[in-house]
Amino acid sequence: MARPIAILRSLATAYRRDWTALQSLTGNNFFLLTVLLLQKAGTFVYLIMALVLFFPLSTDPLRKVPRSRLALWPLERREQWILRLVSPWLNPLTWILAAGAIWSAGRTISAGVWVIAGVFFAAAFLLSHIPTPGRALFWRRVPGFPGPLEQLVRKNLREILSTLDFYCAAILSLAVLAWRWFGPPLPHEALMAMTVLTVGALSSYAQCLFGLDGEGGLSRYRLLPVCGWQLLLAKDIAFLAISLMLCLPLAPLAGLGGAMLVLAVGRVPAIQHPREQTRWRFSTGGAIGNGIVQMIALAMTISSIFSISVLFLAPAILIWLGSLWWYGRDLDRRR
Amino acid sequence: MISCQKLTRRFGEFTAVDQLTLEVDKGEICAFLGPNGAGKSTTVNMMTGLLPPTSGEVRVCGLDPTANSLELKRRIGVLPEDLGLFDDLTVEEHLLLTGDIYGVPRAETRARTSQLLHALSLEHGRRTFAAACSHGMRKKTAFAMALLPNPQVLFLDEPFEAVDPVTAKIMRDLLQSVSRHGVTVFLTSHILSMVERIATRIVMIRKGSVVWNSSAGELPQALEDHYFDLVETPVVEELEWLGPSRS
Repeated sequence: MARPIAILRSLATAYRRDWTALQSLTGNNFFLLTVLLLQKAGTFVYLIMALVLFFPLSTDPLRKVPRSRLALWPLERREQWILRLVSPWLNPLTWILAAGAIWSAGRTISAGVWVIAGVFFAAAFLLSHIPTPGRALFWRRVPGFPGPLEQLVRKNLREILSTLDFYCAAILSLAVLAWRWFGPPLPHEALMAMTVLTVGALSSYAQCLFGLDGEGGLSRYRLLPVCGWQLLLAKDIAFLAISLMLCLPLAPLAGLGGAMLVLAVGRVPAIQHPREQTRWRFSTGGAIGNGIVQMIALAMTISSIFSISVLFLAPAILIWLGSLWWYGRDLDRRR
Repeated sequence: MISCQKLTRRFGEFTAVDQLTLEVDKGEICAFLGPNGAGKSTTVNMMTGLLPPTSGEVRVCGLDPTANSLELKRRIGVLPEDLGLFDDLTVEEHLLLTGDIYGVPRAETRARTSQLLHALSLEHGRRTFAAACSHGMRKKTAFAMALLPNPQVLFLDEPFEAVDPVTAKIMRDLLQSVSRHGVTVFLTSHILSMVERIATRIVMIRKGSVVWNSSAGELPQALEDHYFDLVETPVVEELEWLGPSRS
């Protein structure tokens, strides 16, 4: 029993560290916005965030042990079975689902809900065991952007697609698209509010643009013969392209203007206080103050462009270009 | 092509590189040898403009790496210690990125990419993401990135570590070929047998100071013996618990 216990203890440590990465949520603009402004009315936002979080948290804890290492350890068949049976219980979601199932025994409606949640969990658990050539195939098809920055833009798009922020924003955008297609007409103001929420869901990423590049990537940036503003531009093109795409069913121009302001305000933490990010987690911003300024700037820009005049896009563009130039020089000094 | 005069770098009280002086001519392959922590990477970082010296002067291609950082980066190719790869790009995309950034025409970049992938046996993994590559593949990708823009000077940090013997031989031949065409190569390595075959100049460093600097032909004895005499003498300790009885 000593060997499985030692492995399970290490797994528990690794899993506990993995769950601490969820604290990233508390530095996320979207979460803060919901807690501070929407409060109880933001239940649907909490549900979306929970749904988005559910899949990465449902993976098999035993996967944390490299397959080759597991095969090399001198484990007897009995010990392998113990690991297989006990390791899923290292995942707190397993306990939550089990408690829910016991609690709902005899209550048919809530039991149904727990069955659905259990099926989702099991599906995600099993899917995490399947090698994913499909994901690599999809990742390879991510388009670039014509010009010398093509590969950098492609890389940055892939980085954004590996944060949960994107999937939160995508659910909001798709929900509006479905509503506009199948439901009654949306009130004019609702489009504006949903645009703020969608770009707001992405906004924390603008505070940690270099968080997923890793040491290797940052070292390569220092070696490339390009100016700081070009590196920022490659980041911005990816962010603006994603924002525009998600705002197409909403208010695209207002969304684009808001995304530009979000990038401009996020420069200080992104460049001066870079924070390493974890893939398949929510982006976590540098400071709450900066996040609040970002959200206010976002709401003001979107409401101005949407409600008053599209001409308000011009100052948004100018501010964004100015930040690109100014902080590009700052980045050069720091490289 | 590379010139250092009394180059010094301090980190607080610690002197990583102390009064280093050396000259490397065009087309030379200079091996910069020393134990871990001797100051090799710090020196390379100062030569490539990644780290300003505390005092002294360094010139590469006639440029001051600190003052003309961008211009210098356009003329040199670097294989950094941590390889400098992006997890989210494939092997091939890394090479295309290099061509784009260094202003190599797209058709020429594609041709060079194909040749490099073929030469370094990377064709089968051209569409593999760097995050999924073996260390050897990552090393070869970073090596190919250094060569692709046809630089005037190549800085290579441990190029032969973790690559298979055939690829190491190919890399060696490529480096000898580029040096014949006038490209200067400055490399660090712990694989002395490889260095002995390739280097035209040997520089040894210990605790930040140069302890040997000569052309390869001027070595008074075998490189390994000379290295052990000047830089670091190996001390072998008997580990008594290693043996047939197991606990």
